[in-house]
Amino acid sequence: MPIRDKHEFKVSFLQVLDEDGRVDKQLEPDLSRDQLLELYRGMVLAREADQRMLRLQRQGRLGTFSPSTGQEAAACGPLLALGKADWLVPAFRELGALLMRGVPFNRVLRFWGGWEEGNVFPGVDRTLPIAVIVGSQIPHAAGLGYAVRHRGEKDTAVLTFFGDGATSEGDFHEGMNFAAVWKAPVVFICQNNQWAISTPLNKQTVSESIAQKGLAYGMPVLQVDGNDALAMYRAAKEALDRARAGDGPTFIEAITYRLMMHTTADDPSKYRAEGEVDQWERRDPLVRFRKYLGSKRLWNAQKEEQLRVEVKQYIDDQVKEYETPIDVKPDIIFDLVRGIAHELIEEQRAEFLHRLNDENEDADA
Amino acid sequence: MTEEATVFEFKLPDLGEGIHEGELLTWHVEIGQVIDEDAPLVDVETDKAAVTIPSPVGGKVLELVGSAGDTLTVGEVIARIETGDGAASAAPAAAPPAVAQRESAPADSEAAPAPAAMVPPQPAAPAGPRRGPVPAAPATRRLARELGLDIAQIPGSGPAGRVTREDVQRFAAGGLEPVTAVAPDDESAGTGAAPSGIPFFELEPMPDFSQYGAIETKPVRSIRRKVARKLATSMIVVPHVALMDDADVTELEVFRRRERRTDERRLSLLPFVVKAITECLKEHRMFNASLDPQREEIIYKQFYNIGFAADTPRGLIVPVVRDADKKSIIEISAEIYELAVKARDGKIEVKDLQGSTFTITNIGPLGGTRLVPTINYPEVAILGMGRAKPQPVVRDGQIVARTILPLTLAFDHRVADGADSARFMSALVRRLSDPLDWLLAMKG
Repeated sequence: MPIRDKHEFKVSFLQVLDEDGRVDKQLEPDLSRDQLLELYRGMVLAREADQRMLRLQRQGRLGTFSPSTGQEAAACGPLLALGKADWLVPAFRELGALLMRGVPFNRVLRFWGGWEEGNVFPGVDRTLPIAVIVGSQIPHAAGLGYAVRHRGEKDTAVLTFFGDGATSEGDFHEGMNFAAVWKAPVVFICQNNQWAISTPLNKQTVSESIAQKGLAYGMPVLQVDGNDALAMYRAAKEALDRARAGDGPTFIEAITYRLMMHTTADDPSKYRAEGEVDQWERRDPLVRFRKYLGSKRLWNAQKEEQLRVEVKQYIDDQVKEYETPIDVKPDIIFDLVRGIAHELIEEQRAEFLHRLNDENEDADA
Repeated sequence: MTEEATVFEFKLPDLGEGIHEGELLTWHVEIGQVIDEDAPLVDVETDKAAVTIPSPVGGKVLELVGSAGDTLTVGEVIARIETGDGAASAAPAAAPPAVAQRESAPADSEAAPAPAAMVPPQPAAPAGPRRGPVPAAPATRRLARELGLDIAQIPGSGPAGRVTREDVQRFAAGGLEPVTAVAPDDESAGTGAAPSGIPFFELEPMPDFSQYGAIETKPVRSIRRKVARKLATSMIVVPHVALMDDADVTELEVFRRRERRTDERRLSLLPFVVKAITECLKEHRMFNASLDPQREEIIYKQFYNIGFAADTPRGLIVPVVRDADKKSIIEISAEIYELAVKARDGKIEVKDLQGSTFTITNIGPLGGTRLVPTINYPEVAILGMGRAKPQPVVRDGQIVARTILPLTLAFDHRVADGADSARFMSALVRRLSDPLDWLLAMKG
């Protein structure tokens, strides 16, 4: 009995804009002028806000945070395809996605400044807080997808992000499998930025790609140039449409690069070569997109200048709001964990406040 | 906002997570200069990273505290900047802390913020009997409970007076006075020497040398500090014994000098010794080991990475030839040369300095006849090579001139005994003295 081939799998790669901003006309998505400019503004805002956060951290005005410079296209492109009824389930390196979603920058600052209030996004629905615990949000996204289906919500999808490091976590595999088995309307985007803190990709996995891991769970996969905002939009749009149509989850691997440190508490020069960073700086997603806008006669130096001024003003105002004192409410965590009150939680709150009171009395004694 | 000038005091923030101090690398401004908000102010290197700190305000620089090489403590005022000429005087100087404070939470979590520079200073550690709960991690509390100790009595040396595991252990060993009896000086919270717990061991303060004549002081930093710490640990922890012998390298020298190359890449004696050492280590594995006193275990290493001491313009460092047992003498020679050049040019990478299992110090070419080296802790042994030179020796009843290489093996007597060292040394001397015999017995 001869051995015969039974299944063959392949992983495709999508790029729409090349590194010099040249577009593939066949693949170019049909986006309006306003949509293109919204996407570019989102990326510029994310970059400027990220750089501002780094300075604030160095000045002691912000806690540790995870910079996203270089990964704006991977985070912002898909957001253009995300609707208000859809869910956004972020990890911790999607500043651009949160800002495009309409989360006020001061809330992101509050989060990284250690305020529980940074987990609350006023006026923005269906958006989960930043998830610092690696991969923890993946089963949440699968569960949300299942709930959406269970409740019979039509035309609703869930978009979640995570990094290459998360794909080594059990949560990733459990979440992917559940979503596939349940045909949950979830789009999984792995921002493969080549480094999990100081662990390079070749020590993370020996798979040819991260994308192929999705094949094992029986869902469509696509590898995308993650520094190409148009490709990221296109891939996410198709996946979200498929999810909303009831055709189940999709796994997208965005090939990108973290140009800065993992968090402000580490020094990448201690674990990676400078040449590698230079190589990726040439693939900057903003430069490429700006060239594309220029070639469509939608952009020029004057407009760029106006945008930078507008974005800086917004950031300045938001920083000011962040630094405006608000009352410290130590028991706020008991408000935020559950949607509706529960007697056990209320019992814990009472005990917590009681202890806090005792401590304060001791300290004043 | 008034037009009045105000002085902004910039306190060194916690640049990483739980960083206490940093070394000042360079100021980007001078006193009297006007600096813009967010313009580079100072470069500081912490245990984790070297970072540029941008100025949180714009204004005129009135004072800069410290100069390159100084250690700055988190929370200390490092610069005073006059703000208030309108534009630059915005929020930060007057704004209350923006970063949330968790005064009641003793344990840090990853997301816990760095203390803000703008936060009013808090006492680093309680100076008198403690009030309120004792800051300590749950595992530390448990240890104290298991040892039957009241954690409230244990002085804490950690940040904000936190009681650490080591504090509990020292307290249990009787090395620390209880908090309630006599309030300890505040020095345990900062850079002051913590009580050592070693009987009869006490560091007395330095006398004031300036009363006898002119002096110059320089901070002990970077490489010098690392060398000092490592060697002090080695000398205090390890019972050193040194065994000396001579290798007659006359024939080896003849063989070595046949090599035609005349430049600085020419074969030296060192690669021969490195190769011979790897073979001796395989035969006597206790010299390729480390003793873990906490676990009471000896760790035998099954790889042979040989470090060699290199004298560089910035001080002593020890580059490592990895897997020297698997390399030929000529490969080892080339690698030593490359590492030495990198070390000299300050281009050595951290990985080139890690993982050695045995160290050789070759002081010979520089001077001296022989030396007793200090073990590169936590290794078990170190070989000191003296200067190989012609000496009169007795052979078959005759005095003849031979080239003699003096060797000293310093070893950790906890792991190896005198007899072991004699056998190790003989195996080494035999190889170096009879290269032909060595070659015939050499394995891949």
